[in-house]
Amino acid sequence: MKVTRRDLLLLGAAGTAGLVVTPVPWKLLDDVSIWSQNWPWIPQPTRGPVEVKQSFCTLCPNGCGMRVRMAAGWPVGVAGVSSHPISRGALCPLGYGAHQLNWHPQRLRTVRHRANSSSWGEARAAFAKACSEGRIAIVDGQPGRAASSVMKTFVQKRDGSYRVALGPESQALAPYEIWSGVPAAALGYDLENAQTVVSFGAPLLDGWGSPGRFTRLWAERAAGMADPQLRLIQVEASLSGTSLSRTAARAWQWVPVRAGAEGALAAGLARALLDEHLVSVSARGPMPPLTVAQAAEQTGLSTGAIVDLARTMIARPPVVAIANDGNPAIAALNVVLGAAGARGGIVRRSKHAESYASAEGVIDSARAVLIDSTVPWDFTPKTDAEVFRFAAWDGGSSKADWLLPAPGFLEELTDVPTAPASAVETYAVAPSLVKAPPEVQSAAQFLGGIDPASITVEKIIHTRCDDLFRGRAGTLHGQEATPVAKVESVQKLEEQLWKGAVWIGEPPRSGDFRCELKEWPATGSSARVVNRSSVNWSRAWLAPVLPPLVSKLCQESSLREAPERRNS
Amino acid sequence: MSARYGMAIDLDRCTGCGACMVACAAENNAPPLPQATPRTGLTSMLVRQVSNGMEGAARREVFIPIMCMHCEHETPCVSVCPQQAVEVDKATGIVMQMPQRCLGCRYCMTACPYHARYFNWWDPAWPAGMEKSLNPGVAARMRGVVEKCNMCHARLHSARAKAAAAGKREIDPADYIPACVEACPTEAIRFGNLADENDPVSRDAHSPDAFRMLARLDTEPKLYYKSKEAWVRELAESKSGRGPEVKHG
Repeated sequence: MKVTRRDLLLLGAAGTAGLVVTPVPWKLLDDVSIWSQNWPWIPQPTRGPVEVKQSFCTLCPNGCGMRVRMAAGWPVGVAGVSSHPISRGALCPLGYGAHQLNWHPQRLRTVRHRANSSSWGEARAAFAKACSEGRIAIVDGQPGRAASSVMKTFVQKRDGSYRVALGPESQALAPYEIWSGVPAAALGYDLENAQTVVSFGAPLLDGWGSPGRFTRLWAERAAGMADPQLRLIQVEASLSGTSLSRTAARAWQWVPVRAGAEGALAAGLARALLDEHLVSVSARGPMPPLTVAQAAEQTGLSTGAIVDLARTMIARPPVVAIANDGNPAIAALNVVLGAAGARGGIVRRSKHAESYASAEGVIDSARAVLIDSTVPWDFTPKTDAEVFRFAAWDGGSSKADWLLPAPGFLEELTDVPTAPASAVETYAVAPSLVKAPPEVQSAAQFLGGIDPASITVEKIIHTRCDDLFRGRAGTLHGQEATPVAKVESVQKLEEQLWKGAVWIGEPPRSGDFRCELKEWPATGSSARVVNRSSVNWSRAWLAPVLPPLVSKLCQESSLREAPERRNS
Repeated sequence: MSARYGMAIDLDRCTGCGACMVACAAENNAPPLPQATPRTGLTSMLVRQVSNGMEGAARREVFIPIMCMHCEHETPCVSVCPQQAVEVDKATGIVMQMPQRCLGCRYCMTACPYHARYFNWWDPAWPAGMEKSLNPGVAARMRGVVEKCNMCHARLHSARAKAAAAGKREIDPADYIPACVEACPTEAIRFGNLADENDPVSRDAHSPDAFRMLARLDTEPKLYYKSKEAWVRELAESKSGRGPEVKHG
């Protein structure tokens, strides 16, 4: 058969027409599209058995309950635990990205001695030598843990000093310790029973205490209500041209004052309460050093506004004032209001808490200072001693002589003592969910290597569980609430705690704590100015780095500002 | 029975913490983009801060979470997509985005009146080792496609699988809660079935304080907002260049 040019043209035309009506080109196009959009370098999620484990966030002292979703043994997501009686299912934005922190590029993985690579053996030898040559000091950021006991016992054996770097919530309670003799660590805010809360610059809705505690209370009793059951009054500087702080924006009333005049306003309010006979005679103590007119001059408010605010405060008792730092004038206002030791005010939550020496002062006559990984990165001890700094992440610009890699998020067994501002005692155990890399050690493990006789964290946690069981007080909050008196054995109690239950102590009783003001404190100290929209949700956030997904808040949107590197 | 999933967001309860944004990114394997700006970021859930424009004690501010509104009627992104990469799921009412079909033409981004769609400018990347922390239920999307909220569809799949394993046809509502709803510390964001009159979200949607964004466009969004403050409700119909000042995110 002879093939003509016409046949070839017909074949070509038929082939083209046939190709168009067959699914081949469309299928090829689709395949190319899928292939070209799934490059091999695009990361694939880990496959493996998925399980959910309970734990607690240990990245700040508030210890919120956390459900950790694990795939093939790695944490792939976190969520709050709604049965947790304090955090009530909430986590802060940093907590939601915390499961990625262990792979942060700034993760510390080697021992460093003055910027040079070193080893654990050399670090241990250097610290042991320092211990033999002189006194040592240990700085802890979250006192009350089993690891804190290890550190404290170690320094006490060697006549050293145990110091604590306290967060702002704890600092605000320090003046009451001076006036009452009750350790600040035994005190808390009974916000659940307060009806008026006056915050002097404290970011109550943005990183103060457990995120679930006050924000939930506020949402249930105040949000969107013209006459709320919980009146939140925010005293805060008015900074022209900037957004309001989250607390000022959502407060029932915002009182703009001059920056740093919070103490003067507290004194002016106390004076107005006393001058106008708005508080009981028994509250009468020393007169505040400022008249209402003087306070008005310092704060930028009118005298009428200060008197009106004083009346508003006491209109819906119980009322409590909350400072943003250790400003004693605001604590003194609470004494005048009768809030110190009263229901809905400052309460004593514990009978056996102890006083801590602050790490803020000069640490003199020490040969070496060891800083635990729970101390926020920007803490720099005032000392000439050799500094051994534990940290899981390198925040940069460290002045420590030794930088020692510590376990990261969920890599270490720890217990979770009471959160700083809590009105009740709590206790929980956060088991290690992820195997720590071999190159990291906690401070407690490090000290155990120097003193083999030192007791381990596991044993201390076991002893504490035993003490809780023998005490027969409080309630265990797991899947359901069970009074400790009804728990059958210490093993059952320990088992529940290891599975994520929380022990809650007895509620505080009014009258357990009395405060007497001998003289009015200075009002000169100013409340710290907090960056209003920084991503530093909790000022006690101990990691020097933030979860990478926080870029959504400060890079990919303008919801919050990137944090300032305070020590860089 | 088909559902119409929607949300009711109580703006009076929102403190603008941003937990919903981080939880959304973690759930949906959105990569951290430290090189991105608010114009090039990938924030399927975005909280905007808006003020009433006043100064001093009269100043008020509100935080508004913005995401795909899952428009029911003449869904703008569906009608412009040349690839049929967007469709409204008849069984759920969710506006679905299929990245495998997307050409990256971004017509849908132009068409969306809520600016709730984002273009993936970069290949997704995480620091070394961090891919172990990715949610195994969601595949990472590729560069060059448009992304948006799909109401955590992977969670709906899990809920359906769980129901099927138990021999049930309907999912347990407790098994399907989007990540932003779960993360909200004040329970400002609520999720439910608008087709069910007894659902709390359905009741919220009929509250006198409820409103929808740009309701005049008649796209029938399935996201409802609530506020007792009149100036906040008026924001919903604000036109460009007028009204309260917005801190663009």
